[in-house]
Amino acid sequence: MSRWTGPLLLAVLAALAGWYGTLAAAPTVIMDRAWARLADQVGTNTMAHTPLVTAERQTIVRPSPDLAYSVCTFDLGQGPLEVMANPVPDHYWSLTVFDSVTDVAFVESDRDTRGKPIRIVLATAEQAVPEGARKIMLPDAKGVALIRVLLKNRGEIGAVDAYRKKSFCRPLKA
Amino acid sequence: MRTAFRYGIMLVVGLAVGTGAAALQLRQSFAAMGIENGPWRTGEKVGTADASVSTRASVALRGLLALPEREAIYFNATTDSQGRKLEGRCSYRVTGGAIDARWWSLTLYDSKGYLIGNPERVHSVGSAAIPPQEAGNWTVDISAKRTGPHWIAMPDDQPFELTLRAYHPSRDLLARRGSVSLPRIERGECRA
Repeated sequence: MSRWTGPLLLAVLAALAGWYGTLAAAPTVIMDRAWARLADQVGTNTMAHTPLVTAERQTIVRPSPDLAYSVCTFDLGQGPLEVMANPVPDHYWSLTVFDSVTDVAFVESDRDTRGKPIRIVLATAEQAVPEGARKIMLPDAKGVALIRVLLKNRGEIGAVDAYRKKSFCRPLKA
Repeated sequence: MRTAFRYGIMLVVGLAVGTGAAALQLRQSFAAMGIENGPWRTGEKVGTADASVSTRASVALRGLLALPEREAIYFNATTDSQGRKLEGRCSYRVTGGAIDARWWSLTLYDSKGYLIGNPERVHSVGSAAIPPQEAGNWTVDISAKRTGPHWIAMPDDQPFELTLRAYHPSRDLLARRGSVSLPRIERGECRA
């Protein structure tokens, strides 16, 4: 057996580990950077109803110019958060909650709510929420809640704003 | 000592090769997502821990905060229907039929996944802009100057990508995402 057989076998195993490790770590690293960038721009634990995306104003990769985005960059370190998504009549709208590794912890859209608002409470496993609250459990403190409203044309943003700006994200009152 | 050196050097080489291969795989755009349909690439179980490690990494890098497939499915193209890279120096015509979803849109991005500035601020065409009589056979032109009613601006020569979003896709579209008929991307004239 060559003196290099063992080292070569180790190289193959190391290559597989390097490949898998890089791909597995990518969502966490990328989300962490995006979270910091968003938090810097729109703050944390509040719903920012951002202007329509333009080529000059893009924070997240592959934004849709056909959607109005409201974003809450959250940190549950100080306690649970209450999130409410207000309906926008006759439009596709949805609320999605992403955890710190990009997995979807919650998603619902107008198809699910039939015209009613979505009210949820974001909390970690050990955080208690009031009885009756719809608890969405996050694996750790950080994540992003995102409301999308589909525009028929960009000119109707004013009318859509009247509805979407009622949506909020705020610390849960004790 | 020499044995330890051999193991050490091969460990470093192996890690470097594996990491480099992963980076290259991600740079090769959407191929990492696994499902091909003509020039379009898509994945499965987007937004869930059940998605493959390649899909999760690719979505994080090139489509962070994407909706899960019960809400939307994303098809991405970096080539035309003949496999040639999409280039801004060429004009293109995208032709398609009905897409089995509540709503769809076609959007143009640069090779990093960002909108490209253009004077007309036209980055996408959505199904809401297609008249009912054209819904089963529509055409979208991609060029520097408007050539028809449904047009996306491509103002310079850089390579670009297209994303087709289908919101509230039907079960059939989800089940046959790799074989269902999707829009064709035909290249027209190219500047020298």
